[in-house]
Amino acid sequence: MTDYLIDSPITLAKHIGQSRDLWQLKENDSGERGWQLSAPEIFSALRSPDAMESAKQFFFAPRENIFQFDGNQFRESLPAPEPFALVGVSSCDLTAIAYQDHFFRDDPHYQARRQQALLVGYECLSPCAKGFCPSVDAGPGAREGSADLVLHQLQEDQWLLRVLTDTGARALEGLVLEKAGDAAQTQRHNQIEACIEAFPDDSHIHAGIEAINSNSVAQETWDAAGIQCLSCSGCTTLCPTCSCYGTSDHTTGDTMIRERFWDSCLYDGFQREASQNNPAGAAGDRVRRFWYHKFSREFFQASDNPGPADRYGCVGCGRCEVTCPGVIGVHSMMKKITE
Amino acid sequence: MQALHDMDVSTSQAITTICPFCGVGCGMTLQVQQSGAGTRLSGIAPQLNHPISRGQLCAKGWSTPFAIDAADRIKTPLRRTPGGFQPISWAEALKSIGESIRTILEEDGPQALGVISSARATNEDNYAAQKFARAVLRTNNVDHCARICHSPTVAGLKQTLGSGAMTNSASDIEQTDLIVVFGADPTENHSILGGHILRAREQGTRLIVVDPRKTRLARIADLHLQLRPGSNIALVNALLAEIFANNWQADQFLDARCEGLDALRKSVARTDADAGAEVTGVAPELVRSAAREYSQAKKAMILYGMGVTQYVSGTNNVIALSNLALACGQIGRPGTGVNPLRGQNNVQGACDMGCLPNVYPGYQAVAEEEIRNKFARAWQVSVAEHAGLTSLGMTLATLEDKFRGLILFGEDPVVTDPDQTRERRALDKLDLLVVAELTMTETAKQADFVLPAASFAEKDGTFTNCERRVQRVRKALPPPGEARADWQWLGDIARELGSDALDWESAEEIFDELAALTPIYSGMTYAGLDREHGLQWPCNKEAPQGTAILHSDRFPIGRARLIPVHHVEIDEPADDEFPLVLTTNRLHFHYGCGSMSRKSPLLERETPDGILFINSFDAHNLSLSQHSPVKVSSRRGFIETRAIISDEVPAGLVTMPYHFREAPSNRLTNNAMDPVTKMPELKACAVRVEPLPADAQPRTMDEILADEAREVAGD
Ligand code: SF4
Ligand code: SF4
Ligand code: SF4
Repeated sequence: MTDYLIDSPITLAKHIGQSRDLWQLKENDSGERGWQLSAPEIFSALRSPDAMESAKQFFFAPRENIFQFDGNQFRESLPAPEPFALVGVSSCDLTAIAYQDHFFRDDPHYQARRQQALLVGYECLSPCAKGFCPSVDAGPGAREGSADLVLHQLQEDQWLLRVLTDTGARALEGLVLEKAGDAAQTQRHNQIEACIEAFPDDSHIHAGIEAINSNSVAQETWDAAGIQCLSCSGCTTLCPTCSCYGTSDHTTGDTMIRERFWDSCLYDGFQREASQNNPAGAAGDRVRRFWYHKFSREFFQASDNPGPADRYGCVGCGRCEVTCPGVIGVHSMMKKITE
Repeated sequence: MQALHDMDVSTSQAITTICPFCGVGCGMTLQVQQSGAGTRLSGIAPQLNHPISRGQLCAKGWSTPFAIDAADRIKTPLRRTPGGFQPISWAEALKSIGESIRTILEEDGPQALGVISSARATNEDNYAAQKFARAVLRTNNVDHCARICHSPTVAGLKQTLGSGAMTNSASDIEQTDLIVVFGADPTENHSILGGHILRAREQGTRLIVVDPRKTRLARIADLHLQLRPGSNIALVNALLAEIFANNWQADQFLDARCEGLDALRKSVARTDADAGAEVTGVAPELVRSAAREYSQAKKAMILYGMGVTQYVSGTNNVIALSNLALACGQIGRPGTGVNPLRGQNNVQGACDMGCLPNVYPGYQAVAEEEIRNKFARAWQVSVAEHAGLTSLGMTLATLEDKFRGLILFGEDPVVTDPDQTRERRALDKLDLLVVAELTMTETAKQADFVLPAASFAEKDGTFTNCERRVQRVRKALPPPGEARADWQWLGDIARELGSDALDWESAEEIFDELAALTPIYSGMTYAGLDREHGLQWPCNKEAPQGTAILHSDRFPIGRARLIPVHHVEIDEPADDEFPLVLTTNRLHFHYGCGSMSRKSPLLERETPDGILFINSFDAHNLSLSQHSPVKVSSRRGFIETRAIISDEVPAGLVTMPYHFREAPSNRLTNNAMDPVTKMPELKACAVRVEPLPADAQPRTMDEILADEAREVAGD
């Protein structure tokens, strides 16, 4: 597919904003960053891991009603959003969306929202605060197919606009753009290499991944981490690849509604059975399971169908490190494993 | 709550506010969206730039969207009728409430009426509540729930230091060399602060835990002093004895800033680590090590909780801790201090606002004529001369036919107060009970009128956290139905009674009024709070940026007082008939009476199947296995539940959390009170545990009461 040069993300936003709602990262009056419905005239230049919440909420809703039963009939409550675009998703979060796309490939609720979305990526030129995307093959360059369009800044007023999907190409129809030459591609390549170089040492991540995959982490390490896990659910809530949900039924009059909501495998109740038996009854086992899901190659999702999900469950965004009150987020935990 | 864009969203907004669950006061951002269908909550995120929580929340904080869900909220005023509660209009409700108050005022005067405000409500609501009592009803009968949490803190530290709040700040946890956690379970009850302790511990800070239970922090502590319940003073006196015997005290500090040293020295000279061990059960070597570490550390801070206050000796326990800190000079500097961890999100604010029968806002005493005149002038009314009744006093006065009308909000005393039976009886007897709440609680069920209240997410205001930080709460959502902020409906009742004392247009207007009358808040404005992410009191001309550490140069009372205190046995020790000691605790996932936290299906699922925690030794003696159904009785009543065998509790001690309506621990707990503050001894009473048949299903409290009612009817 052809790549283009564009003077500003705003030019792009104005164009796609004609047919879609635009969501971008914004800062509120208190200085907190998050996804907001936005006008096309501004480009925030925030990167998505600067916001606590990832983009997964756009597709996998924190809470939603799944169906309704009125005594005779089941009615599915499928969402029907208008077309929208997420502008400025960093590579790690794009990789996470691709991972979730695979997990929820048959989930009508997820897909109803996902089909309406246009993903506009935004490649980082310098490392973010706690990130380590290069070590888990998730960035800083956007992975093939993980976005529809990708923005990469070359100069103050010159951006490389990469087109990764047909949807992306269609979204550009009507916009007259100059094709990008080799020089632009080379510059992008060099900038990404420089960004990778600039990441701080994360040998503890590599060593942690190897220790997990060779099953050489002592049980005591997990148990000690288990004492520190306060089961707050922060890690699983903010992690862009976590996908567990729970359901509960509410009845009013004759109508029963089933709601589903984000769950957390760090809760004791997550796997407890009615008999009170719990295969992960010890907190340390729950912590271990979480990190195996993120880093064990046994959990690669699609062995028969190599693709976006055939990868680690961690995209290196660093959110769990920030949000974990127990000091067992990704950097802390991998250091403990490898100490 | 739905995904961000499921509807045709016209605007979206992120409102940063403060967690409504505990005194840490973490920051959170509520994501809301407006569409044709109204304004909805679509998400929640931790506040990254909050000075304490820095991007973290605990399980309760994360469950906020469930807690304020509109689904089972009270949406209109309700009136009790023989056929159950009937929705009525605000106008009808206000008219009837007004009439009823006027009748009581005419017949029995203001002392027959009172207000119980809420440590969950904002400062503005609490200020309005005490002003309503004092300027509209003209009584000092106003209180809130601190009575069952930290009133001994206020009474104790006020005497010794001159101020009853946390002396230092949360950030001191990162600056100290030694943390002493005394009768507190911060990883469960103040989780984000607990997390700071975990982090400090990893970075090499020493940790001493004093607790009868093997708490999470006790497991990672350098020293765990596992004392017998109710032996706090004996332990502290033994520590002091060792410190003086080894000359480890801070002579210079004692000399320059304290009084009463000789008396204290003399009184603790009678004990030492060995003698103390007989009462506390703590090995003398551990006591000596702790005495040395605490006194010799450059910076050591004490954090304490309800394991100190909820005893008949509560006030003296607090004084003992203050003696210890003063003797070692561990106060008034970064990384030191005596720091109460207060439970509910705004219990500090409810006290600061004067929702106490003996003080006006800012702890200005009712007893002082000058202060009374100051408020009378400011409010342009005459005010009552004498201190009012505590909440317990109101209960007792009701039973003696001296108290007839109560306005209560955001509290569920039927579940949280020590003697549930008596509490129900008193509420039943009232001629007027008005309860404002989010959802139907046990207490609201007893009311004559239930008023729909706005949740923290539906109003503007401020909360004051445990480190005295006043923080902005911001309105993110419209209240459901006809719900109103507490200051608004209190103002409505005032107007019904012909008073314009509560005629405010906005929460900010209230804040400006209270800041002008409250010296410790006098330098604060909403703009300043916004700018600084909250300000810590005292904040005034001398300290425009607020005060992170109290008592740096002087104590409000000049010299701090060392006051000798002596061990007092718990009121009801174990005996042959009731051979185990029951103590109460809280579970991380739940909060107060549970009316908010239990609405989350995730937190509800974390509720253990049974709630009696018992040591394997005692369980074995009683032939109990994991989850065996049991009956737990005390001299006051019984409950049924299941046993959880856990080595968190030592042999001879059992614990029960108190959030559970199904098996309320306050059916069992003792009413014996701290003589100073009337704080009930919730932390220790004697009980008997008996196995029920293995296949029996423990009955909930409601089922037990229904069965008993049937038996009575059948007789
Ligand atoms: S595990 Fe942590 S660093 Fe990895 S993707 Fe999840 S939140 Fe990000
Ligand atoms: S963020 Fe940390 S404490 Fe919270 S559930 Fe995850 S691992 Fe446990
Ligand atoms: S620690 Fe307290 S204030 Fe912080 S999230 Fe938990 S309940 Fe809320």
